Amino acid sequence: MKMPFHGRYLSIVIICAILGGAIVVQMVRINYTIYAQQLIAKSEDYQGIEKVIYPSRGNIYDRSGHILATNQVGYELGIDLKFVADPESIAFSVASIIDDMDYVNVYELANTEKRDVENRYFVLSSYVSKEKIDELARLKENYAERRQEQKSSKPSLSGLVWYPMQQRTYPEGTLAANILGFYNYFSRETAQGVYGIEESYNRLLTGKPESVFMPNDPYLVEALPDTQPGASLVLTIDRDIQSMIEKTLADAIEWSDAEGGTIIVADPKTGEILGMASTPYFNPNEYWKYEETFPGITPYNRAIGTTYEPGSVFKVITMAAGLDSGVVEPSSTYNDASGVYWVANSWPIYNWDGGAWGEQDMTGCMQHSLNVCLAHIAIDLLHEDLFYQYVQAFGFGKSTGIDLASEANYPLRLPTSNQWVEIDLATNSFGQGIAVTPIQMVTAISAVANDGLMMTPHVVRSVIDRGQQYDVTPQVINSPISAETARTLTQMLTVALEEEASDALVEGYSIAGKTGTGEIPTEFGYTSELTNTSFVGWGPSDDPQFLVYVWLEKPSISKWGSVVAAPVFRDVVEQLVVLMRIPPDNIRLGTANE
Amino acid sequence: MKNQILQAYKQAPWRIQIQWIGLFLLAVVLIAAITGLYLNISAQAATSGRKIQYLESDIEDINNEIADLTTQLAEAQSTENMRARAEELGFKMIDPNNAVYLEIPGYDPNADLVLAPPRVNIIAESPIVKSSYKISLWEWFIDQIWQPTINSTGIEGGMLP
Repeated sequence: MKMPFHGRYLSIVIICAILGGAIVVQMVRINYTIYAQQLIAKSEDYQGIEKVIYPSRGNIYDRSGHILATNQVGYELGIDLKFVADPESIAFSVASIIDDMDYVNVYELANTEKRDVENRYFVLSSYVSKEKIDELARLKENYAERRQEQKSSKPSLSGLVWYPMQQRTYPEGTLAANILGFYNYFSRETAQGVYGIEESYNRLLTGKPESVFMPNDPYLVEALPDTQPGASLVLTIDRDIQSMIEKTLADAIEWSDAEGGTIIVADPKTGEILGMASTPYFNPNEYWKYEETFPGITPYNRAIGTTYEPGSVFKVITMAAGLDSGVVEPSSTYNDASGVYWVANSWPIYNWDGGAWGEQDMTGCMQHSLNVCLAHIAIDLLHEDLFYQYVQAFGFGKSTGIDLASEANYPLRLPTSNQWVEIDLATNSFGQGIAVTPIQMVTAISAVANDGLMMTPHVVRSVIDRGQQYDVTPQVINSPISAETARTLTQMLTVALEEEASDALVEGYSIAGKTGTGEIPTEFGYTSELTNTSFVGWGPSDDPQFLVYVWLEKPSISKWGSVVAAPVFRDVVEQLVVLMRIPPDNIRLGTANE
Repeated sequence: MKNQILQAYKQAPWRIQIQWIGLFLLAVVLIAAITGLYLNISAQAATSGRKIQYLESDIEDINNEIADLTTQLAEAQSTENMRARAEELGFKMIDPNNAVYLEIPGYDPNADLVLAPPRVNIIAESPIVKSSYKISLWEWFIDQIWQPTINSTGIEGGMLP
């Protein structure tokens, strides 16, 4: 017996079965047709985004904790074509608010036909200031209100998007820029430190970017990985000393009409660089103007990146070699009867003034900067082997290892080289025919100021990583001379400076030092009237706490280091002793009331 | 007679229908309860997911704000600004010849700057949140089966204190 309404029930069952079957068939069809991959790819667009999380770049502090480099917020401005509804309004607002934006270019981008997922986003500007973004946000809100009132789809800034990101900033502007370098942050993927600390410690400062998938599905959301910010660095640089030497150098260049210059202040006991000024000055906040400031082959930091013939400051090295090897003593004499020294009876060596200075002890040789005396020590007493042994022991011919990028080095021409000739030994003894960087001179002469120990010059004092501070331990490079030699030479150069009544003398402080006037070779020999003037000095002589090196390139006011560089050294030291809180000798040694 | 006895023990049809309806309703209620529970948990998970997204966004905003404020502070304390402020207040650079030096016991002007604790050796990092608080009961059960040794030590994944 059939149930009532059996036919109707059967019809419903059949219809449901057909619908179910159709659904299954369609599901199978979708999965096995050529559109399946496209659909899957399209669906990925709605699943979430792959995002690279860049950790904050580490800060850079001076030795007292003042910030020299940090980060601030900038915005990436872009167009997401998927949401663009009104290209004209986007182009108009961007062109009128953002500098250097052209209406036509923005309109063309915004009006591009909607593309595939991977090509739908265009970056208009990598870093836009917060103020400009606030203006755009206000405009976007105004347009939204107007659309609501007018019940129309225009005007609209829909599709104009911005994302916050951190950009590098240097709150002190040009201060210490030659040490810091800069960070070219415009392209985040390829951004890196350039020159100075930013380059040499780039990996530490950057940290490790992490790529994460950020799902749109709230069920799949997880906390982002805790990315560690880049390590921060505490420098040996003292901001006040750096500011002082930069100002003094700028004044000195203006006064002497020099082409450029460098001043380095170092602690000879540790190798710490307290200040390093170098022209031209540069604002790393506008790093894209680099070419304007450093045209052609202009070095970013002359103190480490330029080699030059130092002239008579190099006599300190020759005299140190003579004293340490025992071929001369402070009381040894040299009779400068004619004012000329013949090398291999072929090449004459003259004094700086062409005159003869008669009998001189070694202090006199240094005081009057006699080329013939130093040539005699190098050729007749030290001979080539011993002389170059000492020169190499002082680190010339190789990099100092300072922790700054782009250190230059000119190879030393040794007697084993085919290009070496005998006169090189004579000229090298008073700093000609040999090319050095200012930092090489500072490193070498710091051995004389530090009981014979030559320290590695460095600018990083501590590294702060993952909440812990690692202090850098000063490193000894070499011990080219004995402590006794170092003290003797310091005493000789102190007396020489005082007896010469040098412009470098600082009232109340005993200073050891030496002037330098280096001739500049041209393709025709030493024919130029222009010179490199320099002065190296350290003090207080009994307990050196600073070493100052001054180099002024091609000054017009005078060609002599004693006239140009020595007064600049004095200006620096007069301010330096206050900043370093070094009392005058009579107070420091407790002899004020004696 | 025999038929009459059998008839006496047979359930009335309406009773059987009620039992079936009861069972069906029980199944419906169970399914509804489980579905409701699932929906409730899903809703909570979704809300938490969104909260995480908002909090991540807040963290980024706060970090950006900190960076901005740090920069503003550094600019306000820059050498140039500090010098200008000092001059406004009537200060001027000291003449070294007029400097008066005082010895202050215990004061070291060149003391090392300490911005963070010194380096210490870290033996091992232990997770702050125990894995037992991050896995489901089922996952814990599977762990118990596959990693009996580790769990027996109570180091990882243990539910008991």
